[in-house]
Amino acid sequence: MSRVLVPCHVKGTVALQVGDVRTSQGRPGVLVIDVTFPSVAPFELQEIVFKNYYTAFLTIRVRQHTSTHTPAKWVTCLRDYCLMPDPHSEEGAQEYVSLFKHQSPSMTFPKWLSHPVPCEQPTPLLEGLPDPSRVSSEVQQMWALTEMIRASHTSTRIGRFDVDGCYDLNLLSYT
Amino acid sequence: MLQEESDLSLIIAQIVQKLKGSNLYAQLERQAWASLQRPEIKLESLKEDIKEFFKISGWEKKLQNAVYSELSVFPLPSHPAAPPEHLKEPLVYMRKAQRPVGEQKELLNKWNEMGTDEPDLSLFRPVYAPKDFLEVLINLRNPNYENGDSLSFRTHLGLIQVPLKVKDIPELKELFVELGLTTGQLGIDDSTQVPPELFENEHVRIGQKVLTEQDSAAAQQYIRQGSPTALRAELWALILNISSHPEDILYYEQLKTNVIQHDLLVDSLIYKDVKLTASNDDYYFVFEDYLYQVLLCFSRDTSVLSHFAYNSASPPKSYIRGKLGLEEYAVFYPPNGVIPFHGFSMYVAPLCFLYHEPSKLYQIFREMYVRFFFRLHSISSHPSGIVSLCLLFETLLQTYLPQLFYHLREIGAQPLRISFKWMVRAFSGYLATDQLLLLWDRILGYNSLEILAVLAAAVFAFRAVNLMEVTSLAAAEAVLADLSTLKVMPLLQIFLFATVT
Repeated sequence: MSRVLVPCHVKGTVALQVGDVRTSQGRPGVLVIDVTFPSVAPFELQEIVFKNYYTAFLTIRVRQHTSTHTPAKWVTCLRDYCLMPDPHSEEGAQEYVSLFKHQSPSMTFPKWLSHPVPCEQPTPLLEGLPDPSRVSSEVQQMWALTEMIRASHTSTRIGRFDVDGCYDLNLLSYT
Repeated sequence: MLQEESDLSLIIAQIVQKLKGSNLYAQLERQAWASLQRPEIKLESLKEDIKEFFKISGWEKKLQNAVYSELSVFPLPSHPAAPPEHLKEPLVYMRKAQRPVGEQKELLNKWNEMGTDEPDLSLFRPVYAPKDFLEVLINLRNPNYENGDSLSFRTHLGLIQVPLKVKDIPELKELFVELGLTTGQLGIDDSTQVPPELFENEHVRIGQKVLTEQDSAAAQQYIRQGSPTALRAELWALILNISSHPEDILYYEQLKTNVIQHDLLVDSLIYKDVKLTASNDDYYFVFEDYLYQVLLCFSRDTSVLSHFAYNSASPPKSYIRGKLGLEEYAVFYPPNGVIPFHGFSMYVAPLCFLYHEPSKLYQIFREMYVRFFFRLHSISSHPSGIVSLCLLFETLLQTYLPQLFYHLREIGAQPLRISFKWMVRAFSGYLATDQLLLLWDRILGYNSLEILAVLAAAVFAFRAVNLMEVTSLAAAEAVLADLSTLKVMPLLQIFLFATVT
């Protein structure tokens, strides 16, 4: 059984974000790429090959037409497939990737194939605490900042604990 | 999994392909034919009997060593869709950072001016001194990485600005587990105060056994604890899979003839380099002649070109006069594709202590170069590449000696500016020779250059108290100018295993 390239049309990326795309400054972490297959006959997809460019996790969803009567439904073939083990470093960032049929539950792929592509940042860790070793390296940067502040020491008082310019123990009340 | 099986069969196919063209294949074939005359080889079970014969006679071991050697050098199997440039270097922006072809041509023109006149190294400063190479590395940027000038928690406080993955101390402890406090080490447990019965005698005995067995993989594991001086030359040859066959000696003699018959412009570069570095060194000046012999032959050795398949750099190409652009008239210049830089001869000098026979010395150096040293002067994202080593050094220093790092940065003495020259030369010429050889033992044992960055950080940790008191880059350089009294293994052990983190 020989394999052939299936002609497909890859649409431009669409960012998934809340709010007005034009006005907000934020960079979305999730992008969607729609892929359509112009050929009419259904085929059995064996392999998807692509070159990564700084995408951390990949989810593939397929719109399946089971028969002409029932409406088409979306099925997830691959969820959060890891392309970059450490998204903040270069590992896997520009690698060539192959995804095979056996990695997702077996099914025939119809005309519509759409896969959302999250890029750069993975979903934040909502359960539990952040990774201690990451925190320590970030805290170290913060320490550097505080050193800078300490270096530029001024004599102006912060004034938080002043009561009319003095804070004498005898003035405290014990009631 | 299907994927892993197909990866494995791909690796096997590629290694078989490579070995088929080698000397070993011809020898195995000859041995197989010769063995047919032996009584124990029967026609009905020909395949098994010959395999059994190979096992007993030691040929299987040689084949094992050859395969192991290929695996050590072999890059990971790549995706079928990946082009060959991807195999050399996966990151596009690093590929683009290699020296452009135009600049290489300019280089060739400049050599003519060198000739036999007074050594004027100022002509070479833009390209050859480690300082200038460091400037190139500092300016490497990933176009996809947002790293503004304002200080944020993502700013790299060191000089290297590319976000490569480097190991932290827990991961290094796992990698260098044999350097731990509870494992015996040469360089520590062979000192005069320690009775040799505790570790040294047994270690030497095991070393001799490894050499008798002629097993490369066992030798590589053994040498992680250091090599006894008497066994070192043979152990390194075993690990690098170098054996002195008549063909190898003949190859070297041919290269020597080429040196005598033809001059190359690169030769003047080599002469200058040897005169300025090794000849001035107290330990290595006696080996001046050996160095010329090895390096002049090295630049004419076209078999070195094969390492460019996994080296991110490319050999400079030149064209026969009048045939610019025509591939049939393209030649690599110099023939081995490697332009030596200031300090290059220091890669060879320590080996002269181990090997006195020129052809063996040459083979060992060539193998060390195509396995390790080339990574120290080409721009790549490989974990043992110089960029990763620099980043590893800076990250270790910043994470575990933050006050020192901050202080040095404040006085304008970025630590990498001092340690870069150590790492580029793999500490050759900076450490005492016996200590250097102990260090290079571990490079071979772990098949990685990361230990250079760890040692650099350990040296800074050792001299931290003095460094905290300096107020200028020159003073910091002075504190770290003399490393010849340092003992490498205790420094590494303390930094990795005995520092409170």
